[in-house]
Amino acid sequence: MEEIVLGKLRRWNRWIAVLTGVVLMLCAAVVLLDIILRRMGSSLGGTDEISGYVMAIATSWGMAYTLLELGHVRIDILRGRSDRLARSLFDLFALIVLAGTVTTIAVKCWPVLSRSLQNGSRANTPLETPLALVQAPWFAGWVWFAIVAWATLFAALVLVLKGKFEKSENAIGCFGEEKAVE
Amino acid sequence: MITAITIGLLGFLALSIPVGIVLFLLGFGVDAFYSPFPLIRGLGNQVWSTSNNATLIAIPFFVLLGEILVRSGIAARTYEALDRWVSWLPGGLVHANIATATMFSATSGSSVATAATVATVAMPQAEKLGYDPKLFSGAIAAGGTLGIMIPPSINLIVYGFLTQTSIPQLFLAGLVPGIALALGFMAITVVICLLRPGLGGTSRLFPLGSMLRALLQLIPIILLFTIIIGSIYNGWATPTEAAAVGVACALLIAALFGSVTFSMITDSILGTVKITSMIMLVVIGASFLNFTLASAGLGRELETLLTGLGLSPFGTILVVVLIYIVLGFFIETLSLMVVTIPIIVPLVVAQGFDPIWFGILMIVLIEMALITPPVGLNLYVVQGARKTGKMSEVMLGAIPYAVAMLIMVALLIAFPQIALYLPSALGG
Repeated sequence: MEEIVLGKLRRWNRWIAVLTGVVLMLCAAVVLLDIILRRMGSSLGGTDEISGYVMAIATSWGMAYTLLELGHVRIDILRGRSDRLARSLFDLFALIVLAGTVTTIAVKCWPVLSRSLQNGSRANTPLETPLALVQAPWFAGWVWFAIVAWATLFAALVLVLKGKFEKSENAIGCFGEEKAVE
Repeated sequence: MITAITIGLLGFLALSIPVGIVLFLLGFGVDAFYSPFPLIRGLGNQVWSTSNNATLIAIPFFVLLGEILVRSGIAARTYEALDRWVSWLPGGLVHANIATATMFSATSGSSVATAATVATVAMPQAEKLGYDPKLFSGAIAAGGTLGIMIPPSINLIVYGFLTQTSIPQLFLAGLVPGIALALGFMAITVVICLLRPGLGGTSRLFPLGSMLRALLQLIPIILLFTIIIGSIYNGWATPTEAAAVGVACALLIAALFGSVTFSMITDSILGTVKITSMIMLVVIGASFLNFTLASAGLGRELETLLTGLGLSPFGTILVVVLIYIVLGFFIETLSLMVVTIPIIVPLVVAQGFDPIWFGILMIVLIEMALITPPVGLNLYVVQGARKTGKMSEVMLGAIPYAVAMLIMVALLIAFPQIALYLPSALGG
């Protein structure tokens, strides 16, 4: 059960990450086009603004993938010198704190979106982008991060309770920084 | 407040809570205990305004650029080419290690990627030609650190963003110290190999024809660097736009070498998303902590602290350098930089130091953290790539280069112009 959950989470987040990366590449293409047009005396206008939105949305949706890939940097000093059981307790504790914090962030992001929805706010820019349009996917990314964090926590907790330390270490362990950036 | 924050920071980090999350927790703590009004209401806005940012999108672009270069085999060609040019020096291939690392750091923006690439390409050569593994691997670890100094540098982008300093100016400021460090590394290698010829393997002189042909292999990477840096200073492009141009050029080069495949692109994309989110969680956390510290009156407290200590500006810098060296044994690179910026930079700037100069000084100190055990990221990367021998060999081999960095720190403090001349001459 818990391994199925982890497998599914990994597969979904991999797809999300690929999609996020494609959006980033498209954004690079738009920026490039704008530079070329500018050299020819014209401009798309508003690429800066679009890049900002892409960055916000890509960041929030990439977080869960990075979590499952053990990419969020942790300092391994005490943990690395402990035995298997203690290591898994370190991991579970870190993940509880992460899940709680990310949930707080997601909850506090809601007013930003809800205000834009209520006031129908538009960006103070030439594009006059309706802010809710870009803040909704950004907010959804943080909510997704929180959901994935809790789901991973419960799956890993079950693994630890069943004594499958190696599997839990694979799911929520800490490879140290060197692996995190590979 | 400063004491509580510092203790909290070290304690949470030691518990192996992710660094980005620790910064948020500290922010919550400052809000709960030191702020007269609730700051957590601003959390959502902070997260939105930090990540909705056209400057920071340069980070995924530069990461992607590096991923493409590393995964398309361009590094291997560069290494072979540089080998032809520098292997006549005492120390032979060790110089090729440093030079390749320098060139790659110039384009990729990531120290780890650089060290990993060079290590993968170089290690088989070292065994074949009978080099001393210590110096050889130490040189790769040290050369790889130049990635965060020589522009385009992701660390400098983050520093510029968090301290509101100009990123093009920071890039300019990093150029001379970065190249000087690379030359310093090479000089130290020559000295060591003259004293102990056994360490350096055989130096080889290649015929001129083969050297010139090798030069052809270097053209793409030099062109790439020129386009990125050139377009920023010509005013054609912002750092972000230059990064987008770099991605396009890297893809083009990879395509010319016939190494663009579906799996190469997917791997590059996945790597980019992972590293970007890793960086951004830390950056958003630091930005939130910055906001709470400023609102809770860190500035005033720092002033009192400084007057209380009675340190001269010079004394302050010495203390700061010492703090980084000590922290650098345990924390490193981006984490070290981001967790210290909210407290250290205001303190240093309040003493009248130039934030651009301090950014460069901080980068050298962080580079040193990358190669000082027990937690020295690049040491592990190189060790991971060479697969044989002991970790301690890499650590020993890196010591001479850490000494070169210390000399650089001293030089930067004695002659700030090393960093500041270019920005003031060209940046106006």
